[in-house]
Amino acid sequence: MTNSSSAISVRNLWQVFGPNPEKIVDSPDAALPRAELREKTGNTAAVRDVSFDVAPGEVFVVMGLSGSGKSTLVRCLTRLIEPTSGHIVMDGEDILEASQSRLRELRRTRFSMVFQNFGLLPHRKVIDNISYALEINGVSKEKRHARAREVIDLVGLEGFEQAYPEQLSGGMQQRVGLARALAVDPEVMFLDEPFSALDPLIRRDMQTEVIRLHRELGKTMIFITHDLDEALKLGDRIAIMRDGAVVQMGTAEQLIGNPADEYVADFTRDIPKSHVLSVRSIARPLKDSELPSQATLPANTIIRDATEIVLNSSGPVQVIENGNSIGVISANDILRLIGGIQG
Amino acid sequence: MSNLALGTSRKREIKRSWLLGGVFVIWIGLAKLFNGKFTLEIAVPQNTPFTSFVGEVAKSIRGNRTDGAAFKYFFNPIRQIIDGFVTFIREIISIPTQGATIPLIGWLGVLALIGFTVFAVSKLKTAIMAMALTFACGALGLWKDSMDTLAMTIAAVLLSLAIGIPVGIWAGRSDFALKLVTPILDLAQILPTLVYLAPLALFFLIGPASATIATMVYSIPIAIRLTAFGIRGVAKSPVEASVSMGSTGAQTLTKVQLPMAKKTIVLGINQTVMAALSFVVIAALIGAPGLGKPVIEALIIRDVGEGFVAGFAVVFLAIMLDRSTTAAVVKQNTFVPPSPAELKRRKIGLIIAGISTIASIILSRQFAWAAYFPKNINFAEQIGHGADTTVVWITETFSFFTDGLIKFVTVGILNPLESVLSGAPWFLTILAISAISAIIGGFRSALITVFLLGAIVASGLWFDTMITFAQTIVATLLTMLVGVALGIWVGRSAKADRVLRPILDAGQVLPAFVYLIPMLGFFGPARFTAIATGIVYSIPVVVKIVGQGIRDVPVTMIEAATSAGSTTRQLITKVQLPAAKNSLLLATNQGLIFVLAVVVIGGFVGAGGLGYLVILGSSKPELQGKGLVAGFSILLLGVMIDRIAQYAVRRNSAPRQ
Ligand SMILES: Nc1ncnc2c1ncn2[C@@H]1O[C@H](COP(=O)(O)OP(=O)(O)OP(=O)(O)O)[C@@H](O)[C@H]1O
Ligand SMILES: [Mg+2]
Repeated sequence: MTNSSSAISVRNLWQVFGPNPEKIVDSPDAALPRAELREKTGNTAAVRDVSFDVAPGEVFVVMGLSGSGKSTLVRCLTRLIEPTSGHIVMDGEDILEASQSRLRELRRTRFSMVFQNFGLLPHRKVIDNISYALEINGVSKEKRHARAREVIDLVGLEGFEQAYPEQLSGGMQQRVGLARALAVDPEVMFLDEPFSALDPLIRRDMQTEVIRLHRELGKTMIFITHDLDEALKLGDRIAIMRDGAVVQMGTAEQLIGNPADEYVADFTRDIPKSHVLSVRSIARPLKDSELPSQATLPANTIIRDATEIVLNSSGPVQVIENGNSIGVISANDILRLIGGIQG
Repeated sequence: MSNLALGTSRKREIKRSWLLGGVFVIWIGLAKLFNGKFTLEIAVPQNTPFTSFVGEVAKSIRGNRTDGAAFKYFFNPIRQIIDGFVTFIREIISIPTQGATIPLIGWLGVLALIGFTVFAVSKLKTAIMAMALTFACGALGLWKDSMDTLAMTIAAVLLSLAIGIPVGIWAGRSDFALKLVTPILDLAQILPTLVYLAPLALFFLIGPASATIATMVYSIPIAIRLTAFGIRGVAKSPVEASVSMGSTGAQTLTKVQLPMAKKTIVLGINQTVMAALSFVVIAALIGAPGLGKPVIEALIIRDVGEGFVAGFAVVFLAIMLDRSTTAAVVKQNTFVPPSPAELKRRKIGLIIAGISTIASIILSRQFAWAAYFPKNINFAEQIGHGADTTVVWITETFSFFTDGLIKFVTVGILNPLESVLSGAPWFLTILAISAISAIIGGFRSALITVFLLGAIVASGLWFDTMITFAQTIVATLLTMLVGVALGIWVGRSAKADRVLRPILDAGQVLPAFVYLIPMLGFFGPARFTAIATGIVYSIPVVVKIVGQGIRDVPVTMIEAATSAGSTTRQLITKVQLPAAKNSLLLATNQGLIFVLAVVVIGGFVGAGGLGYLVILGSSKPELQGKGLVAGFSILLLGVMIDRIAQYAVRRNSAPRQ
């Protein structure tokens, strides 16, 4: 049932707050709008029947409006909140079945979290914040500080080892948060809106930092955000949540080129399609009146990156996939797409 | 939508005030008509069947003290353990150890030890001040009594913290535990101090042990409350982070929650110390050694000068303890430790202070001059005399004012109110109070009121309860008058806040008892003295709550009203006060509870009522039952006041959600 090659595999996960939560799971009531359900039974279905697989090394982004259940979902994955029902499988082991001590062990070694409000310990120096997880695991001071120094170098905090969190800027504090999550060398990292509290410029820096870390370390990441730009920048795949359920899941191109409903379309409306879609999505058959140019483009070229070639060619450019032409695009097609003109 | 809601609630309010007015008119009319009938008044030396019965029960409990199983296996062992602990601490600083004529440490050593301890938890300036204040206690000729009070306070605080902090941690971490302790903590908060004493003395005898136990009963809830509050107040995300990294519960507690809650817990220690001190003073009534004794003696023989001397010593100790523990709280303001250079300087300072302290202790054990507080440093007489003459001068100079004030309050407000509350038939009063309770607090509030007032009637002390109630109401009205005005001022002006806050803080620190002394001097033994003391004692808390309420009114609301052209007066009456209504109710509730606690102590200065019966009961065996029942009636009265206020607050805030 679950995919054994996944880093983490989630099946039919439910989180219902309120009285008798089990009764809501899979009941017709669960489909009611939030307010109605609360009125009727006093429950909130914060996560409704969520299933997905995350491949090793993938960055899986969960998006949604405020209150859509993102934080609850990620807390369920680490059992900071006990899910009402479902399965979360890592390495063939259902985390929801784990005993408390096994769960602690998993938390100490296999996964780690980064929080929106950083969650640093104000009474500890940076280096002791970062080595906290090793400390509670009984690692000697010498060893854990050595490891902490490694990750401090990794996230660019050299020279701040002895500082206290309140002496650091927000961006620096979240670097500590990142370093702390990396210190145990986890397989999976959960990041709950880690940069939402930061200024836009610093946020961009930190996003670049995460991309770099991901490239260097190849960690599997589950990344929560409500910022589509961030999702597009970081995510291999994106899941969009609404009222606790996943309404669509796929690559950026799938979501933008083919939104499942109004909600998803609303989300993606302001994103320039030319920056996300590939030429494949607008390739069309050659018209009789046209004379194709010599130039060709691979089908997965982002439209924006194709602009120069298309402009400089004498006629429509061939789009090539697996050695075969799947159609052509012209400058007109690109302009139409940018202008949002149909036909 | 919100305009509509405001409109209906306005209308409801207007209807409510009409109803209230109607009840008052009918009540006063009927009270005039039936004045003096069915008042249930009994003479002071007279017992009712119920009070005699309670007296018999008390007697049989006393008779059981040596042989009864509960005593043999429960009360007596507890008493002995606590007695041992208290004696141990007293022997260090206040009473001679066995076979010696001085305590383990003489006055010089004690002074040095206090300085060292305060220096270790705060800073040098505070330490010097603490030593100066302690020395001043000696200079008042009250070294031994001061040390006894200090020792009793320390013993009670240590025991209270030993119980309060673990329970507080438990209540901070478990919702179940919090639910379990909350009702007890709430009850403890409204229980006037005077009520604890007699019942505890019954089970633990009179003496330091039962005084310590009574003090603990009073101060443990404070330690529990603030510890639990501190643990619960720790930011959620560090705790979550700690759990997410695989911490055990114990690891999260010791490595995250406790260090982060340290400031609140230290604040809790400060509050526990202050509560314990004020209680140790009043616990002199059941045999606590120390400064309480001269205070009470002075009050009983109406010797204002002597009262002032003892009162000053209490004040000095209070300031000393408060400043020292507050300095320790301030030290927790940042999590960043001082720089290494500073740490080194501190370390050297501590070493020097430590060596001089040890030297002082050794000296104080070797030489008489360092062991016995020097007799020739004694300003008691001058200060007593000075206080006396000052009070007389003030009283005489301002008699035109004070006499008028006393007359206005006593004849103009208190007497009419008394005649309505206690002079009317009891069932009429119950009906009227319940109707008022129903109007401001709702049906359940009325139900509880009827029940509690019924219980008071059944206790047989209805008349005295109403006397106390009348004094409480008058004092609270005047407190609110002054307190709300000051509160508005403090809430609106940062400067006023800066000026008044230290005074308010100081006012909250002093034991209620010491306020009685100057009031007795100014107003003589009378009901007004109790009322005035109640007012002075409870104004700080009212001002603070009202000020906070005014300050918490959203800025946008004020800006909107100002931009619509409101005058300052309109702003206060139409925006700030209505928006701060819940704070006003809360302040009234706190004011009532504080006033009640003091008004009953007014029994010492001729205020009559329940407080007088409690005090009488502790000295006259044949009235012991009556005293116990009086204490219980105070409790019922306090619960009733609190319940009505709580229901009113709840009702008032319900539509907002
Ligand atoms: N402990 C709880 N008890 C009851 N309801 C809760 C609890 N925690 C969350 N909820 C509800 O669950 C829903 C989802 O909340 P959640 O915090 O997961 O949203 P989110 O997508 O993370 O929003 P945001 O972007 O604001 O962080 C909300 O309606 C919230 O009110
Ligand atoms: Mg969230």
